[in-house]
Amino acid sequence: MLAKRLKTILPELSIEEAIEITKIYSISGELKKDGLITNRPFRMPHHTIPLNTIIGGGKIPKPGEISLAHYGVLFLDEIPEYSRNILEALREPLENKEIIINRLSGNYVFPCNCIFIASMNPCPCGNYGDEEKECKCTQLEIHKYLKKISGPLLDRIDMHIEVKRPKYEKLFAKAKSETSLEMRDRVNIAREIQKKRYKNYNIYSNSELNSKMIEEFCKLDGKSQIILEKAFEKLKLSARAYGKILKVARTIADLEEKENIEYRHIAEAIQYRSFDKKYDN
Amino acid sequence: MIIEYCSKLYPEKLRKIENPPSRLYVLGNEKILNDNAISVVGSRTNTRYGEKMCKLFTKGLVEYNINIISGLAIGIDEIAHKTCLENGGKTIAVLPSGLNNIYPSKNKELAKEILNNGGILISEYEPNTEANSKKFLERNRIVAGLGLGTLVVEAGYRSGTRVTVKYTVEQGKKVFCIPSNLDNIKGKSTNELIRKGAILVTKVDEIIEEYKDIEFTKKEIVHKDIFLNIPKELHNIYKILNEKPKDMNEIILLSGESVNEVNYKLMLLEMEGLIKELPGQRYIKGIN
Ligand SMILES: [Zn+2]
Repeated sequence: MLAKRLKTILPELSIEEAIEITKIYSISGELKKDGLITNRPFRMPHHTIPLNTIIGGGKIPKPGEISLAHYGVLFLDEIPEYSRNILEALREPLENKEIIINRLSGNYVFPCNCIFIASMNPCPCGNYGDEEKECKCTQLEIHKYLKKISGPLLDRIDMHIEVKRPKYEKLFAKAKSETSLEMRDRVNIAREIQKKRYKNYNIYSNSELNSKMIEEFCKLDGKSQIILEKAFEKLKLSARAYGKILKVARTIADLEEKENIEYRHIAEAIQYRSFDKKYDN
Repeated sequence: MIIEYCSKLYPEKLRKIENPPSRLYVLGNEKILNDNAISVVGSRTNTRYGEKMCKLFTKGLVEYNINIISGLAIGIDEIAHKTCLENGGKTIAVLPSGLNNIYPSKNKELAKEILNNGGILISEYEPNTEANSKKFLERNRIVAGLGLGTLVVEAGYRSGTRVTVKYTVEQGKKVFCIPSNLDNIKGKSTNELIRKGAILVTKVDEIIEEYKDIEFTKKEIVHKDIFLNIPKELHNIYKILNEKPKDMNEIILLSGESVNEVNYKLMLLEMEGLIKELPGQRYIKGIN
């Protein structure tokens, strides 16, 4: 639900992006009709499909699901169901936004600059933390279930958010909220801000910032610094999580069209590391 | 203000103890010093259970128009003072330092709120005196002295609480203890005190029953929000939370604030240890 709706707030594809996507679909034989692909792809590979179908491979290497999601969304539903192999193999390409496949005939490089989304239950039975339904799992079972997702993989995910059953979503609909269209406008504005800011740096968005650039573009005032330090101590965050929080905070500030990251942006970005809080407890 | 031993403002109950202070330095509403009061004491490093029980019993005592006495320390002391204020009660803080040197300084805000809400701060020391470990124990005879009896919520093995209990017994007053699980280290002293004859209590009425010759009048509790060291921008969210877990979506709905605002504010409140996140993105209020 959430994952599918994400598509509706992403900016439209540029011509260059559309051409790149179409090429990938063409060589993988996935092109359903002639002409350019103009919609951002949404890929949701099942957990039973083999490793090379997800990350790419074959005798004559073909792009995998991760590349078919280029400039779009790759969604893994119920991520603990996927094999450890697959999850570990995803780590590098997600970080580098491309995948290199070595063959005797040479190296094949496929792009895979996608938004990665994964979902999971709070516990094996799905009821942990629910006020009405009783969770029947033991602490050990819950721990084992959460541990299926390795720390390094989690570190590569910018935001962890808990969502409720649909019942609550209906209730939630009454709350102050934006339409997808309004959101998309804000996303487009934030994109433009980022493009302009990074025009001399050969990158387009906050997600591409390296650690040196983070230092330059994600400067914090005293209050934000204190909040971040406190969070580090309390949640025992990794160095990678540190970068993620700053990038997300930068993006929240951009969405509000704010020049500088403010303490509330930092606090909100930390709030979206709910998994780190869980590991701590 | 200074109240000398010979003054008629000097609290009657304190006059009767073995070594009463020769003078009291007070700030606030001295008229309440002779009213019915119970001392609520316990560990500085209480558990969640201790917090819950402290709140429950304090509220119950306030309902019977009983003032709450404690030592303004962190942990059970501050929970007792604060809960008393939140339920419209009056509270007495006995300091281990002079009135110009409120100890711990973290609880200066709390001291201010005690004064704002008809309570009183008491010290037997010159206004500029600094707290020290001897004074921590010494002032406990006043904590015990001003009350009808002492309620111990949670206490570790070596603690000032045990000294307060000793004074309470010496003064011929009753000691009430809330029992704990055997595996709760913060419950070691309370369980042991029960074994040695302190009165085990499971509800406030059991404290009331022990004072047959006093007639307590019950009153309706009106909840009051007490914002201690909480920035103004967080008040709205903090107000919504209580001891019953509230779901993130409920908080968004009740606050009328945007998802972004609610998220950053919950984070800040959690960092300050004012609220706690439970499984399922639910939040509750709580010190520590
Ligand atoms: Zn379960």
